[in-house]
Amino acid sequence: MKAVIKNLRGGGLGEFPESAMNLVSKLKQSNYQISVITAVLVVILAFWKPHVLVEGLQRGCLYAVIALPMALILGIVGIINLAHGEYMMLGAYFAYWLNVYTGMDPLLAILPALAAFFLIGVASYRAIIKYVLGTPELNQLLLTFGLAMILEQLANLLWTSRPIKLPLPYVSSSATIGSFTFGTYEFIYVGAAILVLAGLLLFLKRTPTGQAALAVGQNPRGAKLVGIHVDRTYLLIFSLSIALIGALGAIFMTRHSIFPLVGAPFTMKSFCLIAMAGIGNLPGILWCSLILGLAENFVLSFRGYAGWADILFFALIVLVIMVRSRQREVK
Amino acid sequence: MKKSRPLLYLIVLVLLFTLPFYMGVYALNVMDIILIYMALALSWDMLLRSGQISFGMAGFFGVGGYAAVLLFLNTGMHPLLSIVLGGLAAGGLAWLIGSAVLQLRGMYFAIVTLALAEIFRVIVRNLPDLTGGPEGTVLSQAIFAGNSTYTYWLVLTAAALSVIVSEVFRHSRIHFALTSIRNDEIVAKSSGIDVFKYLVFLFAVTSAIQGITGGAYAHIYGFVSPEGSFSVDFTLLPIAMALLGGMHSTWGPVVGAVVLGVVSEFLKLQIPYGHLMVYGIIIVVAILFFPQGIVGTLGLKMKRTGSH
Amino acid sequence: MAILRTEKLARHFGGLAALSGVSIEFRDNEILGIIGPNGAGKTTLINVIAGIYLPTEGKIFFENQDVSKLPAHRRCHLGIGRTFQLVRPLPGLSLVENVMVGSLFGKGLGKRDARKKAEELCAFLGLADLSRDITRMTALEVKKMEIAHALATQPKLLFLDEVMAGLNSEETMEMIDLVKKIHSQGITIGIVEHVMRVIRELTDRCVVLDWGEVIAEGPYGEVSNDSRVITAYLGEEA
Repeated sequence: MKAVIKNLRGGGLGEFPESAMNLVSKLKQSNYQISVITAVLVVILAFWKPHVLVEGLQRGCLYAVIALPMALILGIVGIINLAHGEYMMLGAYFAYWLNVYTGMDPLLAILPALAAFFLIGVASYRAIIKYVLGTPELNQLLLTFGLAMILEQLANLLWTSRPIKLPLPYVSSSATIGSFTFGTYEFIYVGAAILVLAGLLLFLKRTPTGQAALAVGQNPRGAKLVGIHVDRTYLLIFSLSIALIGALGAIFMTRHSIFPLVGAPFTMKSFCLIAMAGIGNLPGILWCSLILGLAENFVLSFRGYAGWADILFFALIVLVIMVRSRQREVK
Repeated sequence: MKKSRPLLYLIVLVLLFTLPFYMGVYALNVMDIILIYMALALSWDMLLRSGQISFGMAGFFGVGGYAAVLLFLNTGMHPLLSIVLGGLAAGGLAWLIGSAVLQLRGMYFAIVTLALAEIFRVIVRNLPDLTGGPEGTVLSQAIFAGNSTYTYWLVLTAAALSVIVSEVFRHSRIHFALTSIRNDEIVAKSSGIDVFKYLVFLFAVTSAIQGITGGAYAHIYGFVSPEGSFSVDFTLLPIAMALLGGMHSTWGPVVGAVVLGVVSEFLKLQIPYGHLMVYGIIIVVAILFFPQGIVGTLGLKMKRTGSH
Repeated sequence: MAILRTEKLARHFGGLAALSGVSIEFRDNEILGIIGPNGAGKTTLINVIAGIYLPTEGKIFFENQDVSKLPAHRRCHLGIGRTFQLVRPLPGLSLVENVMVGSLFGKGLGKRDARKKAEELCAFLGLADLSRDITRMTALEVKKMEIAHALATQPKLLFLDEVMAGLNSEETMEMIDLVKKIHSQGITIGIVEHVMRVIRELTDRCVVLDWGEVIAEGPYGEVSNDSRVITAYLGEEA
């Protein structure tokens, strides 16, 4: 079975094996270039604007850990989940609700959130998502958009649009190096990003279930032919993604104030990052997230221009699209 | 196009124009909302016919609103002129963005449009001297001094314009181009259709309609603001209306707008928080069960029972 | 006189060379057969010449004009037409309207002229009942509609991509006559086929592709006896 899966991943069923290999080496090259640029930026910022470096790192990792589950769904199940940010938002409210009713600390709520949102993912997939899987992209976009709206309004209904924040003592912990003080709590995002990325890579490359999932992502028909249960794989991956993003919502809740629309910008930024890195390039997403985080904080550090930071991701994705379409040889 | 059609349209239009003479102010205001959303729903559907989805209605709606108000305030031009120019501004902006972004289609384009409302909102908030910043700008007087009859006629004109454009698209060579592009771009190209040019043109025209509608709305309600003018309502409702009524047609969005416009009036009173959920549900249900919408499903039924 | 000429045409997809070093020419008003085993690059050749893919290397000259970088729709306007193997008729449009797409945009005719041209072409190809529902057509009718659509763009050079596939021998004979009829209008034809009887009857010369390269060129009689071609799997005799 493993050999067959390896063959499928190599594209043995009528695809172009050499082109897959070339693509991989090209990706590795572009990852290399991106990491070199990042390293240079890091050094410059460490001396010039250390705030930007630290906060950019933290923010970038937040973006990464949100984008990775979306990339998982897009790469393997092949559907773009416009409701992604909304699931995160619900995770945040879930942690808040647990805190209000049981006094549970939101960080501890990660565990029940993982479980609850896995189930929510299963329910979403079974009731709604699986029906648009074979259909045109248009339908998928509209459906998940409608789903996002439903979830946003659900939160509106249950908790109104008033922003909510939990006063937690540990989120304002900080450290000082020389004359430079920075928040240390946000490093939790760095830890989460590394954990999630490493976990996903290990899962996909080293476990049989993960390898089967990769095979399904590249060639669903071929995978079915060798006996991989495609629907179950989609269900697992989708639910896993929702579980991760729901748990992340719990973490997010500790540090930020939440409101029904809080998730929407993250959906767009996540897609932007996935588009930059290329679908299927999980480590690349981390690098691109760091670039975005650093760039945003860089702009934020200039008093008069702080408001423009939120446009950066848009400029980036337009740039990516223009560059990509020039690279394309098919007209 | 059958010879009787234009005459029918004219009769309906005249009837609609005479509504203010026997309808109260409240009813007229409801009609205003219906007609505004109708124009938006039609503009969305027109782009959809090419196979592209835009989630950017709220964005161009707001751009048209701000452009109209700012032009009016800074140059003292007639509000109607400012509305038209506001629409052109939105269209021009769409032309630029489309030229850059329509090289890649499908989800890339859709998500870029999704981000537009947010982007425009940020820009508007960050230019307070020009736009009034987060609080927005208020007009000292609504257009026509708030006369509900004239206001209604303005909105009716905008909606009629969208209907006309939609019908022109349906009965000209553009219909063939859009259907072909939607079906298979490669075949379309091989038939001699300049796909990119058509898509950019379509995006610009539909965005201009959204801009004109937004300009009218801004002048009628007398203010623009980052939250109000770019509200997701202006993206969500038109989509729900077009899907409910039936995609790829003129009458689908029209029917959808009337039905949902009336429904929304009731819902707003019953469920102040979260009534928008209904529209999300409508979209999901429509995609899952009724991709043809009301008009489409009825149309199919009529074909089957009619003589063939 | 060559209406179309390729010079060392190559097209790569990632690491795979779908076409390499293809230098052929289409002589004015000839019928050139393009044959070769499955995956040899026949459809890719059409796609590159028609402009769906840009060449990775090499050039294409149409009527002595370098069209290598022109977009597909411009090449259509110049007079390169083609049919598709898998036909997906436009839903919501009748048979004649499907054909009209070609006449509307191939040479930019007005709606009335485009419809007239489409009707003429349907008659020319023996298609009747033009406002009929496109979902109820036979395989032969679908193919005829596809050819009518391509002819509606008024091509000088027309590529027929496996138009005989799936036809019985009666229908194949009818199609062969149709191709001859089209040819008699002065159109140069490039025909991709697997059915050798068709190639034998219709073509003046053929070009044999294998693994993206031209391995033989000449009249069918010569080419079918070429040892390289035979080795490369000549395809079935009808």
